Amino acid sequence: MNPYITASLLFGLLLGTTITTTSTHWLIAWMGLEINTLAIIPLMAQQHHPRAIEATTKYFLTQAAAAATLLLAATTNAWMTGQWELQQATHPVPTTMITIALALKIGLAPLHTWLPEVMQGLDLTTGLILATWQKIAPFSLLLQIQPNNQTLLILLAILSMLVGGWGGLNQTQVRKILAYSSIAHLGWMVIILQFSPTLAVMTLALYIIMTSSTFLAFMMNKTTTIGTLTISWAKTPIISSLMPLILLSLGGLPPLTGFMPKWLILQELTKQDLGMTATLAALSALLSLYFYLRLSYAMTLTISPNNLTGTLPWRTQTNKKTLPTAILLSSSILLLPLTPEVLTLFNT
Amino acid sequence: MLKILIPTTMLILATWLTPPKWLWPSSLLNSLLIALTSLLWLKNASETGWTFLNPYLATDPLSTPLLILSCWLLPLMILASQNHTSHEPINRQRMYITLLASLQFFLILAFSATEMIMFYVMFEATLIPTLILITRWGNQAERLNAGTYFLFYTLAGSLPLLIALLLLQNSNGSLSLLMLPHLGQLELTSYADKIWWAGCILAFLVKMPLYGVHLWLPKAHVEAPIAGSMVLAAVLLKLGGYGMMRILVTLDPLTKELSYPFIVLALWGVIMTGSICMRQTDLKSLIAYSSVSHMGLVVGGILIQTPWGFTGALILMIAHGLTSSALFCLANTSYERTHSRTMLLARGMQMILPLMAAWWFIASLANLALPPLPNLMGELMIITSLFNWSPWTIGLTGLGTLITAGYSLYMFLMTQRGPAPSHLLALEPSHTREHLLIALHLLPLILIITKPELIWGWTA
Amino acid sequence: MFYALVFLLLGMLVVMIVLSTNPAPFYGVFNLVLVALLCCGASVLHGGTFLSLVLLMIYMGGMLVVFIYSSALSADKDPKAPTGWQVVLFFFGYFFFVFGILYTNMVLDEEVWWGVSGEMDWDAVFRGDMDGVSLMYSSGGGVLLLGAWVLLLTLLVVLELVRGLGRGALRAV
Repeated sequence: MNPYITASLLFGLLLGTTITTTSTHWLIAWMGLEINTLAIIPLMAQQHHPRAIEATTKYFLTQAAAAATLLLAATTNAWMTGQWELQQATHPVPTTMITIALALKIGLAPLHTWLPEVMQGLDLTTGLILATWQKIAPFSLLLQIQPNNQTLLILLAILSMLVGGWGGLNQTQVRKILAYSSIAHLGWMVIILQFSPTLAVMTLALYIIMTSSTFLAFMMNKTTTIGTLTISWAKTPIISSLMPLILLSLGGLPPLTGFMPKWLILQELTKQDLGMTATLAALSALLSLYFYLRLSYAMTLTISPNNLTGTLPWRTQTNKKTLPTAILLSSSILLLPLTPEVLTLFNT
Repeated sequence: MLKILIPTTMLILATWLTPPKWLWPSSLLNSLLIALTSLLWLKNASETGWTFLNPYLATDPLSTPLLILSCWLLPLMILASQNHTSHEPINRQRMYITLLASLQFFLILAFSATEMIMFYVMFEATLIPTLILITRWGNQAERLNAGTYFLFYTLAGSLPLLIALLLLQNSNGSLSLLMLPHLGQLELTSYADKIWWAGCILAFLVKMPLYGVHLWLPKAHVEAPIAGSMVLAAVLLKLGGYGMMRILVTLDPLTKELSYPFIVLALWGVIMTGSICMRQTDLKSLIAYSSVSHMGLVVGGILIQTPWGFTGALILMIAHGLTSSALFCLANTSYERTHSRTMLLARGMQMILPLMAAWWFIASLANLALPPLPNLMGELMIITSLFNWSPWTIGLTGLGTLITAGYSLYMFLMTQRGPAPSHLLALEPSHTREHLLIALHLLPLILIITKPELIWGWTA
Repeated sequence: MFYALVFLLLGMLVVMIVLSTNPAPFYGVFNLVLVALLCCGASVLHGGTFLSLVLLMIYMGGMLVVFIYSSALSADKDPKAPTGWQVVLFFFGYFFFVFGILYTNMVLDEEVWWGVSGEMDWDAVFRGDMDGVSLMYSSGGGVLLLGAWVLLLTLLVVLELVRGLGRGALRAV
């Protein structure tokens, strides 16, 4: 792809998210979402193989459907209440429609089925954008509408956690596993959305950090299946020895970063007298933990046999940029002691 | 506290910076010095029992013995692992010591935390190094299965604990261990409160482990390398007992009624796991099941909540920590020579390694609670207080003691006595390192007889 | 006026149903154009003459080209009429579903008035959308700029997607 076109597409990605997050008008917010969708489509299809095209088509169809529903809901809202303000969508019908449309957009269960399929068709870089950056705009809308329908959100959230955990159990493809992990994490963000938006944003930020470091580590190894993960110890020994920590951090084990959002969310839920929901949420994390554990078994905790030439690659000099990976890796492992600082960062 | 914690973290650095030749001696020396310094914690002059207080960490008579035990275990683990890691590349050896040191770091923080959530975080944090120890450094392919069992049993128990602790904080306003005993009793009447009670206690019962949720333990023990088995038996199981003693203070009005099934299960488990030991062919598995059996007594002693019960439980935990760790080391010495854990294939070792047979003898006697070892003191106190609680328990505990004696004898006879099989005649002689290792286990055990109030806990 | 509106909206529904049951792409395209026309008509009746004009222009100018392009892509040489009893079944299923909902919600509910806003008012000649257009030119410059950029982006996206047909873009599926 021509670098100028790539640049303008990336600029489109930035622009779309910025417009959506900063707008107060439904139409403009919708427009931002559409810009986002449009801009990523050529990036998805740039590989020119049938699987990528299929993923692109699926992505386009679901996102267009979600955006259309969102537009319909926004116009309904305008028709009913007479204004287009983002934060004053008060009538339950359009609010519910908006919630469902946004759930489809970010891939919350039961509207999640496109996500693993799409993710599987992409290369890791585009997958990273899809799993992190593309969530920000719809999520900011979800944050702003403040849905007054508690049950719907909690139902979506719990379902996402369970489906995200169960779905990933029998996958051998790393990208699909990460897609399911994204579904489960979104469940955690949505469950706390109406009680503490600050926490939801913090969870999103930490999820982005942890997922980016996972993706970057896989990109270093160029691996997309569990099978090829097994020889990563011969390619990048340090990353593969840190990998179980990152994966367990995604799974939310203390004392790693991933425990922080789970801990604070559970605390908030217990404060709202939702002890049973909190227990269910906490136990559903075990499901996801199982496939993270499987990944780390394959990558680090067993050493697959290899021939002499196969074990050489780590000696060769790599010219990949390692600084972002290093920063993201260490912050996705070590942030838990800094919990108060992270919280203050998002409270302001 | 930092006097111990900083050297422990520095031990990790030292591991990576020392030249390969000095790696094992220097880390051993460093950890031994840490262990010696940790003995300072025994000096406890404060009236409230809490000493070495700082905003997050402190020690009291309950945690001090366990803290010192976990500090003591690190040099022993390093000693024990030297042989089987010597074939690995140097970086992996360094990684191994790093894991052990980080495990000790988390254990110290767990035992000395003054806040339940901090304790919880560190309780969970010990899972990661232990998991890596089991699944990365174990030998058989089943180690992955064992690691999964280990992680998921513990987490399935302890995630409800987190919720329960957060609920407790909401109703109580504080989770400080210094405050909890003085906050008075909660109004606990509803069914939800009963579930909450179970949530509080279940994690520790899984960790202990209680009979019925113990299946992860033999797997983990069998598959773990020697250091993993040692620390698992000696310290990690004790996290459960320690946590239970801490949390029971707040659960007061409910425990009296709700603990019946758990006490029954624990005492029944003493007999059942003892019987399993009697027909065990796998040496490490036998020692693991004997741990479950002993821990059953500890659970019983803690759950009836008498001062004697608590004291007996703490004494038994410390004594069992040293004894079972010593037994695992002995099992490992024979495993490193015969490359088999099956007792039938490694008989008559007395003829070949006579001094080792002496160590086996002492360790087996300690395991079956011979007077005057602290094992006996602990068991006796627990049995007495259980008898006081309900005379019928004497049937279970008495039979349990008998079976313990039976399988300890069985283990000793099977491995040490009898004619030496011909395939074993050319064994490597035992090293000084191994004798030192066992001596460092058994000497403290014997010396504690002379001053048992060190491990008496709160009654002291 | 009222009957015209009802005619347009019902026609739109029927066309939509035909669209969703018909497997032949040419009919699909034709129906979409019809829907667009009917929608524009309805919005004229609601007082949005300018808006509907713009919409019609866009549909005719832009979308029609896309439709023809996509139907050419599908390369359906001889269009089939909706035979097949399954299609008919779907048609009637949709029909009864949609009109059932319509009937229960709209007709039975007495209070809904299918009137046209501003029809009876004296100032019906002042169209609301003219106001919006002037507003767009006066204070919506930023949005115009944004719209232009998005059009450019869309052009780039379409070009990028259909480029390299020989290497198997789009058609490869």
